[in-house]
Amino acid sequence: MEGMAGTRSRLTWAVNLAALLLVVLWTIPTLGLLISSFRDRDQIAASGWWRAALPAEQNEIFRAPPPETAVPEGPLWVLEGNVFGEAGGSVAAFGLSAREPKAFAPGETATGRAGDTLTVESDGAFRITYPEAPEAGRGDRIFVTTTTPPRLTLENYETVIVAQGLGRAFLNTFTVTIPATVIPILIAAFAAYALAWMRFPGRALILACIVGLLVVPLQMTLIPLLRLHNAIGLDKGYLGIWLAHTAFGLPMAVFLLRNYIAGLPREIIESARVDGATEFEIFRRIVLPLSFPALASFAIFQFLWVWNDLLVATVFLGNAPDQLVMTGVLRELLGSLGGEWEILAASAFVSISMPLLVFFGLQRYLVRGLLAGSVKGG
Amino acid sequence: MRIDRSAGPALLSLALATAPQLAAAQDLVFAPGEDTRFDWESYEALKQTDLSGQTLTVFGPWLGPDKALIDSVVAYFAAATGADVRYSGSDSFEQQIVIDTGAGSPPDIAIFPQPGLVADLAARGHIAPLGQETADWVLENYAAGPSWVDLGTHQGPDGADAFYGLIYKVDLKSLVWFVPENFEDAGYEIPETMEDLKALTQQIVDEGETPWCIGLGSGAATGWPATDWVEDLMLRLNTPEEYDAWTRGELAFDDPKVLAAIEEFGWFVRNDDFVQGGAGAVASTDFRDSPKGLFASPPGCYMHKQASFIPSFFPEGTEVGLDADFFYFPAYEEQDLGKPVLGGGTTFAITRDTEAARAFIEFLKSPIAHEVWMAQSGFLTPLKTANPEVYGDPTLRKMADILLAADTFRFDGSDLMPGAVGAGAFWTGMIDYAGGADAAAVGAMIRKTWDSLN
Amino acid sequence: MEQLAFASATIVIGIFGCVLWFWGSNWLLDRALPPRGPNAARNIGRAARVRPWLFLGPALLVLAVYLVWPVVLSVWLSLHDASGQRFVGLGNWRWLIADDKFRESMRNNLLWLLIVPAASTLFGLIAASLTDRLRWGDLAKSLIFMPMAISFIGASVIWKFIYDFRGEGQAQIGLLNAVVEGLGGAPQTWLTLSPWNNLMLMAVLIWIQTGFAMVILSAALRGIPEETVEAAVLDGASPLQIFFKIKVPQIWGTIAVVWTTITILVLKVFDIVLAMTNGQWGTQVLANLMFDWMFRGNDTGRASAVALVIMLLVTPIMIWNIRTARREGM
Repeated sequence: MEGMAGTRSRLTWAVNLAALLLVVLWTIPTLGLLISSFRDRDQIAASGWWRAALPAEQNEIFRAPPPETAVPEGPLWVLEGNVFGEAGGSVAAFGLSAREPKAFAPGETATGRAGDTLTVESDGAFRITYPEAPEAGRGDRIFVTTTTPPRLTLENYETVIVAQGLGRAFLNTFTVTIPATVIPILIAAFAAYALAWMRFPGRALILACIVGLLVVPLQMTLIPLLRLHNAIGLDKGYLGIWLAHTAFGLPMAVFLLRNYIAGLPREIIESARVDGATEFEIFRRIVLPLSFPALASFAIFQFLWVWNDLLVATVFLGNAPDQLVMTGVLRELLGSLGGEWEILAASAFVSISMPLLVFFGLQRYLVRGLLAGSVKGG
Repeated sequence: MRIDRSAGPALLSLALATAPQLAAAQDLVFAPGEDTRFDWESYEALKQTDLSGQTLTVFGPWLGPDKALIDSVVAYFAAATGADVRYSGSDSFEQQIVIDTGAGSPPDIAIFPQPGLVADLAARGHIAPLGQETADWVLENYAAGPSWVDLGTHQGPDGADAFYGLIYKVDLKSLVWFVPENFEDAGYEIPETMEDLKALTQQIVDEGETPWCIGLGSGAATGWPATDWVEDLMLRLNTPEEYDAWTRGELAFDDPKVLAAIEEFGWFVRNDDFVQGGAGAVASTDFRDSPKGLFASPPGCYMHKQASFIPSFFPEGTEVGLDADFFYFPAYEEQDLGKPVLGGGTTFAITRDTEAARAFIEFLKSPIAHEVWMAQSGFLTPLKTANPEVYGDPTLRKMADILLAADTFRFDGSDLMPGAVGAGAFWTGMIDYAGGADAAAVGAMIRKTWDSLN
Repeated sequence: MEQLAFASATIVIGIFGCVLWFWGSNWLLDRALPPRGPNAARNIGRAARVRPWLFLGPALLVLAVYLVWPVVLSVWLSLHDASGQRFVGLGNWRWLIADDKFRESMRNNLLWLLIVPAASTLFGLIAASLTDRLRWGDLAKSLIFMPMAISFIGASVIWKFIYDFRGEGQAQIGLLNAVVEGLGGAPQTWLTLSPWNNLMLMAVLIWIQTGFAMVILSAALRGIPEETVEAAVLDGASPLQIFFKIKVPQIWGTIAVVWTTITILVLKVFDIVLAMTNGQWGTQVLANLMFDWMFRGNDTGRASAVALVIMLLVTPIMIWNIRTARREGM
């Protein structure tokens, strides 16, 4: 970061630009989802999210009021109204038949088969006339090509936030996540220290096995473990899911922490040993505080994983409404056949708020350069 | 799903939601005794069973609005017997039920969307047989009774057949959806025979428009709509017995009869002019998005073949029966095989044998259990003792008429086949076929998979 | 509210319990084998042999029950039939070797293993080193990290909005096709175009895992002693030289850890493939194949066989780890 003044600012520019490019590339996909969460389902299906802020040009079908509500006006019976209702918009073309929805320009008059006429103005006002008193029935269809101003809505978020059971589920998720993050860290930290700084036979093998356990597919473990839980009386409950998450997170925790702890300067530990400190004291007073960046990293990942998890929760905790975690409640909003992209978008962002908060919160620990300067002087 | 509109800011709703939930008798949708179309006698009879203090856990695939509907039915059982009934749903039902039954913590009642899984679990002894009495009851009280008994009969752990599953909610699949006003504007008539349907398809193309919307995409289940097409065509080209042989694996997948059905499907789907977006788009178009073409302006397509649950994916405000309607997917005039109907249904099975579970199955036999849902939306039943006047909308009534009048009714074939075929190779094979693969090759591949099963 | 109390109590008891075990067992050991007095040397030796197991004990116990035992069970299941009741010997394995989808999965997994860890680590390294220097570094880090925080379902919908296809003439709602159309091309059904669809799926995992790599490498970069960098600057090294010759070698261990972890995660990936193509069009991977046989085909025998293949594939990494650990000596 030091250097000649001229190259420094050029470098800073280059770095800023490159970083910006990277961030933009990474964020565009998520931006799409964010914008979609403010649109309704028909809009999402009709146009890409990058057009959300643009006036939408669409071919729409509007149904006129029932013919029997027509009012007599001279020799004709008349129906009037506006295709846009309350919202605004402009009409570019209209038509009477599905085959030719753009046959007429605004202001012209179209004549139907039965002698009725339709006129649509460019502000959406329409006028239908019947030569005789019309029979009861459904209103005719009016085909209009409209340009409507962009419609963004908070409805999706409303649906998600007031969803029944969300508050309870939020608490459930917290209850699951916090212990499931804290306990693995504790157990793994000790194991990592032993694997990093203690000598004993089989050390390399044990480490390799733990790395190997990282790859065990979750699905293979679910049935045997649940059966075990049922057999020893844990059944489905919080204790079971804490143990399960602890176990699933341990290999990664041990691996990450061990690497970090092994990278600590040997002198610190050696000199503490020479000073007569017990292993436990070395661990508690020196290694643990120095390992905060690694602990924080793992905490973030484990928190994330447990927060977003649904499978382990439904298997070990249960599917009943009072046991369901937040991801379960959000999934319930989607309906049996799925397909509600707008609700999914909103729920994804409601759900992401907490992990991001955690990330921000733990960032400080990641940033602390604890080793900087601590080596000099021993 | 009930939305608590009275809650204002999110915090308030948070506080409200954490207040102790009252495990109370929910309000019954239809007050007992009021509407005479319902069979309230069966409801009263139910009150004789006293299950107060007992809980009943029901696990099924229904979420969201469907969950609200099953809750409304279950509420009657709870109110009459005093049991505490809890329904929970999951979008990964198959995964969850396999795990729960395998590990020994199953729900009391499980609702299976496909009978194939019931067969697997029954063979492993995880499901309690419903008994000959229930089987006989189905035989007598369901239209086309024998079919429904067959569907619920599977091999148990001892190798002997027993009746395991009661089918409760039925979907009709041999339906083609269209917009009546579009047909009117264009001057088309509803085809009564398959030959007419094909002629109509050609006519629409000749007039410069697109006849069909077909979408096979469905995330992890991509390809299943194509299997519905092929099954419907199999029923129209072959006898019901041959169809049964096919779903049992006795008629091989690369038999000329099956290949003929696949190629008939190909006539519709592999022609770029016949399908919106062209033949290549079919596999990538989600089945939930594809009906939208019907309602576009100008119409993206005129016809869409899909089961009776598809109206929930029509644009908001579409009135079924008026804005959109259906006609029966016609049979071949020259084949002379009558009017076969393809459908699907959910199977209720007892996964933990308790008194409450048995009582619930008895409840499902009563007309009131069917009528409560019939009067709302999206429910069809072959129960002869349920009053058809109760149907909530005329479309359902029309579908029920088709169901009750069918001379041949067959269950969705892919649901009957073993999972690796019916929820695997058949789906993927159809996608390959829609993408241009050779029918014989696809048939051979599926057959090979079937033969290799344990 | 009692639930919160329950949870807090658990955390406290859990921490207390752990601390009690570790401190307690160490204390007991020191009492039994005091490092002072007549037998000091012998005691220290003995204690040093016992102590590591005290530290490792809880972890090993949990892992043995929750992870090792299911692996053993998988081996047993892979030798039995679909319901796990009838012994079939090597039948499942023979089927596996002959199965087309298995071969396809192996090929694809190899591709994934070559591309994704390298790309994620590279982008993560770039992201880490760039964002450390910025004033808006925290924000940048959070944005690059966000894909990790989104659940897999969210991620698959996000990328659906990128890869989506509509027929020509219809409005595209997928970004990629919109760009292609804008540049004058025809929209494609990206996820069905083999073999490029594999790259499309890999892009999703790279997008997610870069955040992971970035976080870990960022912590490592921050741990590099300033003096080494200062010295190089005084010697007149350019920033790129500093990066490659000073920084990277010092965090090489961490880079290896990140690479290893992502490699292992790649072996397990199936959600992305399941949700976007379900292994169709030549995109099948082993983990999805296992999932398919486990819950669709209801065949625990075949699913276990595939699971074991996945686990066996990690052996080279394990061996490499043993070698590195032994070399570290100490």
